[in-house]
Amino acid sequence: MNNIWGSMEQYDPVVWNWIIAVYLFMAGLSAGSMLVAIGLKWYKQSRGLPTEGLPVIKAAAVIGPVAICLGMALLVLDLTKPFEFYHILLNYNLTSVMAWGVIALLVYIPLVFVFAALVFEKQVLHFAPWLAGVLKVCRQLEGSLNKLIFALALGVGVYTGFLLSAMISYPILNTAVLPALFLASAMSVGSAGNILVATLFFSKKESDCIEQVHRIEYPVAFNEALCLVLLFVGLNFSGPAAQAATAAITTGAWASVFWIGVVGLGLVVPVLASTLAPKAWRHTKGFLITVSCSTILGVLALRHFVVYAGQSYIS
Amino acid sequence: MTKRYVLVHDENKCIGCQACNVACRSENNVPESVTRLQVRIEGPYGNFPHLHFKYNRVSCEQCENAPCVKVCPTGAAYVNDDGIVSINEGKCVGCLYCVAACPYKVRFINPETRVPDKCDFCKESRLARGEEPACVSVCPTDALTFGDANDLNSEVRKLLDTKQNYQQKVNLGTEPRVYRIPSRRGGIKA
Repeated sequence: MNNIWGSMEQYDPVVWNWIIAVYLFMAGLSAGSMLVAIGLKWYKQSRGLPTEGLPVIKAAAVIGPVAICLGMALLVLDLTKPFEFYHILLNYNLTSVMAWGVIALLVYIPLVFVFAALVFEKQVLHFAPWLAGVLKVCRQLEGSLNKLIFALALGVGVYTGFLLSAMISYPILNTAVLPALFLASAMSVGSAGNILVATLFFSKKESDCIEQVHRIEYPVAFNEALCLVLLFVGLNFSGPAAQAATAAITTGAWASVFWIGVVGLGLVVPVLASTLAPKAWRHTKGFLITVSCSTILGVLALRHFVVYAGQSYIS
Repeated sequence: MTKRYVLVHDENKCIGCQACNVACRSENNVPESVTRLQVRIEGPYGNFPHLHFKYNRVSCEQCENAPCVKVCPTGAAYVNDDGIVSINEGKCVGCLYCVAACPYKVRFINPETRVPDKCDFCKESRLARGEEPACVSVCPTDALTFGDANDLNSEVRKLLDTKQNYQQKVNLGTEPRVYRIPSRRGGIKA
């Protein structure tokens, strides 16, 4: 029916769509894989173990730069004026979370390329011998660079959550749990991505230090589940509009995405797989690939659920 | 802030005729597919035979604490000296953050400029000439009153001092500058 006051099309509360969800996923993947790889490196170093050529670190050196660049490409294409995106690099409104994100990414993106170049130093020097001097300097600064990348990766992971939680009228988004949830799920997709790429391309032995990455999966999955519980229990105590928004996990298409994708693929499958699967399976390629793909899909579902269900309920 | 322009919508006088909507479109060259201003006819409320409709004006609320201005990464959304939330088209990249952040859902992308658009109290045209916004001057029942709330003798000031009024979504802390005089009719959910 036509309204006397005109079309309601422009009043659709869902403004940001799947492109933003995939961008948030990519940024989380990149940040998470960096956090896991650098964490692993520190863990090994503190025990005096060698860190050169670890498959998981090689995997992070691929995922880190590739994921963030794909994510940025999506983000720029989604602007209504993609050819004028440079304005965002020139003007900064520091009350905006997005401006802080731009600053973090401006430093983070070149540094993950440096990280990758140091991991694949031989290959880089083979194709670009003229980089030898620069790489030598970077190698000397490697310790500090890793600390800086770790801090920035934390920033990128958290910022993707604050980006959404700054929108005050959406009860599901406007919570302090969201950045923590996004960081936890970034860690889980980062470790899953690292295991997947390491298993597919870099692993020579069956369990090339995938063991240690597995060890962080439980606390990360626990934190992610806890954040989800906090999010929805918190909504229930935050007034009528927020209470109404809890319907996001009980009714509609996004409830299925939540239970099947986020909870099922993202949390239940990985946890059950690593507790119940027979020992003989645990380090087989097929098993590792299946479980990490399940986690990755789960986190992708989480980003879509948060972006769509989050915007569907307005206070 | 030297001026504090506010708009008062008297929901008792409004008849939902959309003259304001049409005047706005014509004054501001708003493309056909989008709109800066709607008066939605909601209801009926109350119980038979005491039924009535609510006339809900939907347009930029010119928030004093505007979420769109806070989230804009480039500062393209800003508040002017007159308190009118404005848009600098040159700085905007079209990230849609302001459109998503607006609690009143009144920002939209203008299909011609690819930049967010919304009510600006006709500041470039009518206000600059010392006239009232198009919606105010065209309203057949005088349901709209516009003026500077910093001026103690202004009509809006007198109206807001003497009549019961409310603003939408005050719990969000946006401090909207569109004030509404509620319908006197009552009712409870059946």
